[in-house]
Amino acid sequence: MVTVNDFECSFENKWCPGCGNFDILDSMKEAFVSLSMAPKNVLLISGIGQAAKTPHFLQCNMFHSLHGRALPLATGAKIANNKLTIVVNSGDGDCYGEGGNHFLSAIRRNIDITLLVHDNKVYGLTKGQASPTSDAGLVTKHQPHGVLMEPFNPLAVALSLGAGFVARGFSGNKHQLTGLIEEGIKYNGLALINILQPCVSFNRVNTYGWYKKRVYDIGEENHRPDDFRHAMDLAFEWGERIPTGILYKKDKASYTDKIQVLNDGPLIDKPYASEKIKAVLSGI
Amino acid sequence: MAVDVTVKVGGEAGQGIQTVGDLLARVCRKSGFYVMAINDFESRIRGGHSFFQIRISDRPVLAPHQETHLLVALDRQSLTLHEDAMVEGGLALLDGKDDKKETGRLSVPIEELAVKAGGKITSNTVAAGACLSLFGAPFDVFEEILRERFGRKGEEVLGNNLMAAKLGYEAVQEIDFKWKFEWKPGEPKGALVNGSKAIAMGALAADCRFAAFYPMSPATGIMTNMAALAKESPFFLEQAEDEIAAVNMIVGASFAGVRSMTSTSGGGFSLMTEGLGLAGITETPIVIVNAQRPGPATGLPTRTAQGDLLFIINASQDEFPRFVFSPGTPVEAFDVMIRAFHLAEKYQVPAIVLTDQTLNDSLYIAEREFHPPDSIETFVVNDSQIGDPSGYRRFEITGNGISPRALPCAGEALVVVTGNEHREDGHISEAIHDRTNMVNKRNAKIPAMLNEMEDPELYGEDSGIMLVGFGSSKGPIRESVDILREEGVDAGCMHITDIWPFKADRVKAMLSNCSRFFTVEQNSTAQLGRLIREQTGLFPDGSVLKYDGRPFFPKGIAEDVKAFAS
Repeated sequence: MVTVNDFECSFENKWCPGCGNFDILDSMKEAFVSLSMAPKNVLLISGIGQAAKTPHFLQCNMFHSLHGRALPLATGAKIANNKLTIVVNSGDGDCYGEGGNHFLSAIRRNIDITLLVHDNKVYGLTKGQASPTSDAGLVTKHQPHGVLMEPFNPLAVALSLGAGFVARGFSGNKHQLTGLIEEGIKYNGLALINILQPCVSFNRVNTYGWYKKRVYDIGEENHRPDDFRHAMDLAFEWGERIPTGILYKKDKASYTDKIQVLNDGPLIDKPYASEKIKAVLSGI
Repeated sequence: MAVDVTVKVGGEAGQGIQTVGDLLARVCRKSGFYVMAINDFESRIRGGHSFFQIRISDRPVLAPHQETHLLVALDRQSLTLHEDAMVEGGLALLDGKDDKKETGRLSVPIEELAVKAGGKITSNTVAAGACLSLFGAPFDVFEEILRERFGRKGEEVLGNNLMAAKLGYEAVQEIDFKWKFEWKPGEPKGALVNGSKAIAMGALAADCRFAAFYPMSPATGIMTNMAALAKESPFFLEQAEDEIAAVNMIVGASFAGVRSMTSTSGGGFSLMTEGLGLAGITETPIVIVNAQRPGPATGLPTRTAQGDLLFIINASQDEFPRFVFSPGTPVEAFDVMIRAFHLAEKYQVPAIVLTDQTLNDSLYIAEREFHPPDSIETFVVNDSQIGDPSGYRRFEITGNGISPRALPCAGEALVVVTGNEHREDGHISEAIHDRTNMVNKRNAKIPAMLNEMEDPELYGEDSGIMLVGFGSSKGPIRESVDILREEGVDAGCMHITDIWPFKADRVKAMLSNCSRFFTVEQNSTAQLGRLIREQTGLFPDGSVLKYDGRPFFPKGIAEDVKAFAS
């Protein structure tokens, strides 16, 4: 039987004390245990940022790659071996800024990957610059007159692109988050879970207390995850009340389901097609 | 008399220039002639000016000639642009009725005949028929080629084209063309193939399972061919959202365990350089084809160049071992692809194949058959080979720098990989000893990698003057040597396919017998010359440089060398 202890890793954790990432890490482990997934069956892929360090802090197979590039790397891995269970750890800067184009394409592909975006609305690793999800007007050392851009709305963007699984979690609600991650992993396609997370070092506005006063569980308010229009409304709700939970879920074929050559097994398992190559060469 | 003629088919993009050229090339090949055809076109789909230039010979040819024996001018502009290159007794074939042969221009009512045959669309077949007739080609071979090409398109299409061919053929049958030559029944001397197709075939023969790309001339043709050839193979082609995605996808696919590649040109390669470095530090085997075109930035999208050599060797920040190959012909490109995949996997490094528009887009008669490997040697380990999978370290320090490579989720061994500098177990480390050890470990592969490199190919060794080149200029350089020798110049040449790691000792030894050597390259600062100087301490006596975006012509090289030598 798989237990949380199986994921314990001796590698020194490098996050700030009190970081929301610890709660996300705990929820990931709980979700894996709940799904009976041992470390050897988990492949975590990440980009660059504090969130992207997550795979180092638990026992698993992992590829900690380049800033913004976790999704294409994970897409390649999934196509090569569609039996892999891949979870991507990314941040608001990594996924929506540097990797924005890949975010759009990953949703359009509906590649079967669980995408956890640790969204603290600020750049942590590079010490406090504005991120794509920072609110307009946020003053930082590098934006002394406040952020001039409007924030990126990942949930609305994902919904508009036809994403089949769109959820929002909060690192301060581990029970709910664990459930969302479980559902995301079980979902056959791209599962976006945007996770609101305080940054204790660089975000003085969106603190635990700030979120605790505002977040609510849409499941408890009878939101039906197949209601696209209501999901879209929820994606734009922000301020006094912040909805969390599964905004939208719809079953559809994942990318690798649609790749014909994978119908009879993963690419990695197929033998060298010596005879086919010879036939090709003799036919030119 | 030796046969060596050049036909130029010129016109606007979209007029079917390549169709005419392709038909001519196929008929010549089937009759046992050698051909080499270049594609010269602008970056547009319609209009402008393009031409397809095919050289036909009874001896192997690997270079284009400029002197034109027959010009097929599908528009008037072709006439003004190319008439100067006509040889004495050459003809320009035009659509019309007015021009007589005596003027060097020959009018054939191409479109009128096409309409008569069944439609304007058969104009290209009329033109091809007239060309072949002027050269004295037997009609039956042409008919066979038309049946191969149009047979699957239905009786009507085939019938119309056969009629068009006949009308074009008969329209000029009475013309006594000076450059007519003898056609005897012959066997094809080899496959008719361009570099793009050969590269695609080589990749599939090397067991490439996954390719990701973003369209960019002149590299796109490689992927077009892979998509067409691999329909029945265990292979998937992904059109990525950009080049950055493409390179990261193949790193991911290779990490997961399948051989993977991408192809691009300089601009796309520039975007890929960070991903190249990721493959370098994570020791993930990948293959990248960089098909050169003139730059920087967008440069000349559909033209040819060799200006990326030093960039490719040094691309990405900091240092890591890599292979770089620069094949000279499609057959070499095929072989190089097989070796690139093999060596990338064996040494867990990126391998880059450097080609250019000339090699990718030109048609050659393959100098020999394409030989795929019977089996593929793999270099991954599983739990039982590891022994103690719980203690598996992906970047274990070994004597030769190569660590046992396990695949993720393939067993008990956990595979931990990061683009940060790392410890042997794959976790991030900033410790001095880890950094130094990992750089040393990666570099430790270089001596063995160098031993995998094949010697440069010599032609006319022990000559007083040696010409040194790489990539697609192989054919033009070799023929320029023939020209120089006929004129009494003691010349030979060296072609470097295995360019990095650089075989400095061998190149130095091979160049030490000549009195002078010149590099011949398609860039403006003699990058190969600089590389040779850096690696061997030998100073080239000069360089033949061409950076106009057009391929080398043997005579041009010979003239430049003579100017140096005098």
